[in-house]
Amino acid sequence: MKINLKTFVLPFQYNVDKSLEYYKILEKLLNRNEYFVVGKNLIRSDALDKCLGKANFTADYLSKESLIVKVFRSCKSHAIIKNIETSRAMNIPGIEAIITARDIPGINQIGYALPDQPLLNDTKVHYIGDPIALICAQNEEAAQKAEESILIEYEELKSVFDISAALNPDSPLIHTDGNVAVTTKIRKGNIEKGFKNSNVIIEDTYWSPYQEHMCLETDGAYAFPDGTNKITVICESQSPHLVREKVAAILGWKLNQVRIIQALTGGAFGKKDDTGPILAAYAALSAKTLGKPSACIYDRIEMFKTTPKRFPAKFIYKSGADKNGNLTAIQVYITLECGAYANRAPFWLWRQTAHAAGPYEVDNVAVDGRAVYTNNVYGGSFRGFGNLALHFAVEQQIDKLAYELCMDPLDFRLKNVLKVGSRTTCDQILDHSVGIEKCLKSIEDASKWKEKRVPIKNGNTLKGWGIGCAYHGNSTSRSTPDWSAASLLMNIDGSFIYRTGICELGQGSPFGHVKIVAEILGANIESIKIEIPDTDSTPDSKPTHGSRGLMMGGTAAADAAIQLREKIIKIAAEMLDCSLKLVECKESYAYNKENLNKKIPFNEIAEELHIRGLNPGAYGFYASPKRNYDEETGLGINYSVYTFASTIAEVEVDTETGEISVLKIWPSMDVGKAIDPIIIEGQIHGALSQGIGFTLMENVQLHNGNILNPSFKDYIVPSAFDTPEVDDPILIEEAYKHSAFGVKGVGEPSIISIVPAIVNAIYHATGIRFNTLPITAERMHKALKEVKK
Amino acid sequence: MIFELNGKNVSFEAIPSLTLLDLLRNEFGLTSVKKGCDQGECGACTVLLDGMPVNSCLILSPQVEGKRVTTIDGLSENPLMIELRDAFMENGAVQCGFCTPGMLLSSYSLLRDNRNPTEEEVKMAIEGNICRCTGYVKIIEAVLDAAVRIGPD
Amino acid sequence: MSINNHNTHILPKFEYYSPKNIEEACKILSELPEDSKILAGGTDLIPKMKEGVLKPKNIINIKQIQGLSGIQEKDNCIIIGANTKIRDIEKNLIIQKKADILHQATKKIGSVQIRNIATIGGNICNASPAADGVAALIALNAEISIIGVKKKKTIKLEAFFKGPGKTILNKEEILTEIKFPVPEPGSYGYYCKLGRVSLDLATVSLAVQLKMVDEKVENIIIVSGSVAPTPLRLYNIENLCINKKITNDLIDEVAEKISREIKPISDTRASADYRYLAIKGLAKEAFSQILEKSRGTR
Repeated sequence: MKINLKTFVLPFQYNVDKSLEYYKILEKLLNRNEYFVVGKNLIRSDALDKCLGKANFTADYLSKESLIVKVFRSCKSHAIIKNIETSRAMNIPGIEAIITARDIPGINQIGYALPDQPLLNDTKVHYIGDPIALICAQNEEAAQKAEESILIEYEELKSVFDISAALNPDSPLIHTDGNVAVTTKIRKGNIEKGFKNSNVIIEDTYWSPYQEHMCLETDGAYAFPDGTNKITVICESQSPHLVREKVAAILGWKLNQVRIIQALTGGAFGKKDDTGPILAAYAALSAKTLGKPSACIYDRIEMFKTTPKRFPAKFIYKSGADKNGNLTAIQVYITLECGAYANRAPFWLWRQTAHAAGPYEVDNVAVDGRAVYTNNVYGGSFRGFGNLALHFAVEQQIDKLAYELCMDPLDFRLKNVLKVGSRTTCDQILDHSVGIEKCLKSIEDASKWKEKRVPIKNGNTLKGWGIGCAYHGNSTSRSTPDWSAASLLMNIDGSFIYRTGICELGQGSPFGHVKIVAEILGANIESIKIEIPDTDSTPDSKPTHGSRGLMMGGTAAADAAIQLREKIIKIAAEMLDCSLKLVECKESYAYNKENLNKKIPFNEIAEELHIRGLNPGAYGFYASPKRNYDEETGLGINYSVYTFASTIAEVEVDTETGEISVLKIWPSMDVGKAIDPIIIEGQIHGALSQGIGFTLMENVQLHNGNILNPSFKDYIVPSAFDTPEVDDPILIEEAYKHSAFGVKGVGEPSIISIVPAIVNAIYHATGIRFNTLPITAERMHKALKEVKK
Repeated sequence: MIFELNGKNVSFEAIPSLTLLDLLRNEFGLTSVKKGCDQGECGACTVLLDGMPVNSCLILSPQVEGKRVTTIDGLSENPLMIELRDAFMENGAVQCGFCTPGMLLSSYSLLRDNRNPTEEEVKMAIEGNICRCTGYVKIIEAVLDAAVRIGPD
Repeated sequence: MSINNHNTHILPKFEYYSPKNIEEACKILSELPEDSKILAGGTDLIPKMKEGVLKPKNIINIKQIQGLSGIQEKDNCIIIGANTKIRDIEKNLIIQKKADILHQATKKIGSVQIRNIATIGGNICNASPAADGVAALIALNAEISIIGVKKKKTIKLEAFFKGPGKTILNKEEILTEIKFPVPEPGSYGYYCKLGRVSLDLATVSLAVQLKMVDEKVENIIIVSGSVAPTPLRLYNIENLCINKKITNDLIDEVAEKISREIKPISDTRASADYRYLAIKGLAKEAFSQILEKSRGTR
């Protein structure tokens, strides 16, 4: 498929450069040098309802009559299903139906990348929690009784709980095509030569474990029949259109027979990307089968035990540098643990492969990756998508090389980081928007790194400083074409309706779109209402993931706004009796820049627009520029653009108890353009907290495929008391040419660099390296004890 | 059985196995009270019981007989809550919004009893309200900001 | 917990009793079968029922019984009713002034919301070896009153526990109050635990309450939580300290020997090995803090 570079093609003669790129909208299209709303801190449009408790989440929509859909699950980690006996459960009063695989009218398949994941299993189960049947009940009590009454006859198979066992030639096969689900490869330069020219070489192995998202809202979906031939599902997801596609396939229906409404979502972080379609399909199956409203709402334990987590991964690194401190070569072997299903593993693994050198220029690169099935809970999307684990490894390698060369770790990084003109892991030449050097220098100054970075021992405590860098490709990998869409409608009273399929998950992306729209239209921000995504009316903006929500979706919004602006300007020019380029719009008024006396409110323009028969709507569409990629070498323009970040952390270790406190953090990020600084800060703060959790406390404990700590009580996530002092995040703005105002994604990249910053700081304080996470007090304590010996 | 809900006496059928959380959500339609864990660990279901923040998922409905229950809905016109709410909105303390009603109620209860809290005291007051989005930084800032706004009585 | 056997959305059905006074409560308890549970705060009971771990057929709510809550000082003793909420103990000025160790411990129980529901009686009767309040109360030399159908008895709190979740309480008996002597002048207490996040149950905890005369330890009680099936008094360490000045050498000796006195197990929170070693750090912290306090007040 050929995707052309998007340029402005304007319907009217207009004094702009036709090849204008989106980042120059302000100067070239709006003809001004100051922003009205972009870059300003405004109150989010959804904040008041959320503060009043009026914001509706999935479970808030349920009717009292709604049936309860409970999932009956496998208690075996690996077994053949010989028989499913539901008749006893069917006779329980209050049970309306028990749905198994054979009752699925369409295709019993929910796999994302590979068709390895049935919605309901009837031949084999692959992990503890694998779904087998849906219990549709009038009340919870009946559903619970039915869960206890369904009988499954299993033929147990040997289970595999770790990647090395799965790779053993004698290992049982979890899926028919072998335990390696997918492989990846990059070959750049000459790896042998690279290591030959190295004066120092560091080799090490790292293990990044599962992490649970712990979204505050549990997964849920509510489906109800809309006549006889249509089902509406209210649910949380990260792509209502993907949910629609999956649900329609399960039901054996056309896309236009399924309507997905995206409720507000109580945190997603990637989780809902994977669970959204599944729960929606459960609820929809019940609603279609029984013709009644049906709700599937997980409880916390079920959500924790059965839904995807951050994919674990093992990295074997060999990194070289010459005596002048230049990186020479890296060789990397990545083994990703899929768990029971591949799900997003091919994409996750590729992202790790493609970023394997970290945000540094390395001429000689060899990376081999494979994703391996086990009988543990399966992995899935999670903020940072592969890059969190990857940077945990690569940033320690960089640190070790710096120490080995007796160089300051920050100076060593500065010497090697990607700059304009540098080539990435995949040999992609970065011709602009490369802000990592500025990020590093800014926090070096802010933290007074050079003066203050001294390890301190004081009684039982050791203090140290560490740094981490990160980069994260925005939008799709491997040059896969990506596009997004949005729609904008001007009502006759001058108010606007904005529609995007980019979901509000807490991150505030749709509000960012609206700021872009308001800036371009010159409209009052309050006059633009964001509709919640509804596949019956919202364009397919593609998913809210891959750091593309604002970068892609916001640029589609800009495209819609530019189209509508042309019409507004045209009408306004005539009403003001001036030339097009003299028209300025601000706060929903149009006026002549040279004669400020006359102002025309947008409602009059809207009315005129309708009277003259001009379309008051605009459909915005944005496609990322064409890229290329070579399958054989793994080289090419992998990502449209990268977000860069760096973080410094100061930590304190208690040598008596092993407890680690993060004392202070200095974050920086190259965001392209900060549409809303306060929202970006919020993303950074939240990511730091999740990153601290992953590094120091969050510990999914598995025993023979069973999760032992599936609750807030036993799986510790940061509370208010774990909030360190955070210096004001420094936002670097190296604009991306092809996005609205130059914006790049921020939510995901913000979690990556904190993890190595803490780990490196612990090394600085204690001289101890950790190759796995979390570094709990107990692990720290044990390591300190071993050093003493 | 009768109890006071957001300033009005209401009667209800006290089913012992029904929690206050489910009573409020299902019988009184107060969906501002959120169900995050149902085990008293996340704080999303926080309500004020006789003025004090509690996890409504841990209270059996008959236990509220004769007591005063306040949800965020009952404080929408309260001057202290208005200041607190504005501080939350202006300081960027609201993201997904799922923890927000509970977080506001815990913060409200703190500021009602302590007009000039320290950062430590703020942290202690909201320790039982898990937020997975904000990392608490802006929430803590917002509560301290609200304390400045309301001033000493 | 089986994958299909939990449902935190519902509570298993039960009969509910709400006696108006203790006599009625004891009578109900004596007539009901064993699978009955007293509901005090419910912060422990309700989650266990939702998880399907406990399925009591009868629940006896004792919250509304008059006269079971409150804190008072009487005859040089502090008396706390069993139904007193943890939060009320935490905020109580008598406790803050005269039994600081209990104040410190209550601050570390759950969250504000939990402390507003949970009662001290519940904290004791759950018989969790990790209970913060219990360790502090044992260190204060507390005794408890128990009322049955016919008789009333008073016992030392430390003699109350039989194992995790198990006490000597008979099924028709109710814990009514906790009583401990007001610490004499020259007394200092300190409570600490591992598990920086206080919502995290203690991995190891330590309560030390002592009285100094002429800088020497006249009497001392040391209690550790989560290191044995019940809260554990460390008599040997107490004896080690008697009649000695608290010096760095003594602190080191305590830290050195304290691990031998405990019997921890490994669980999802921490390994036994870690508990053996980490308690040394707690011992150092507690004694150093007490030393500092005693210097500050001299």
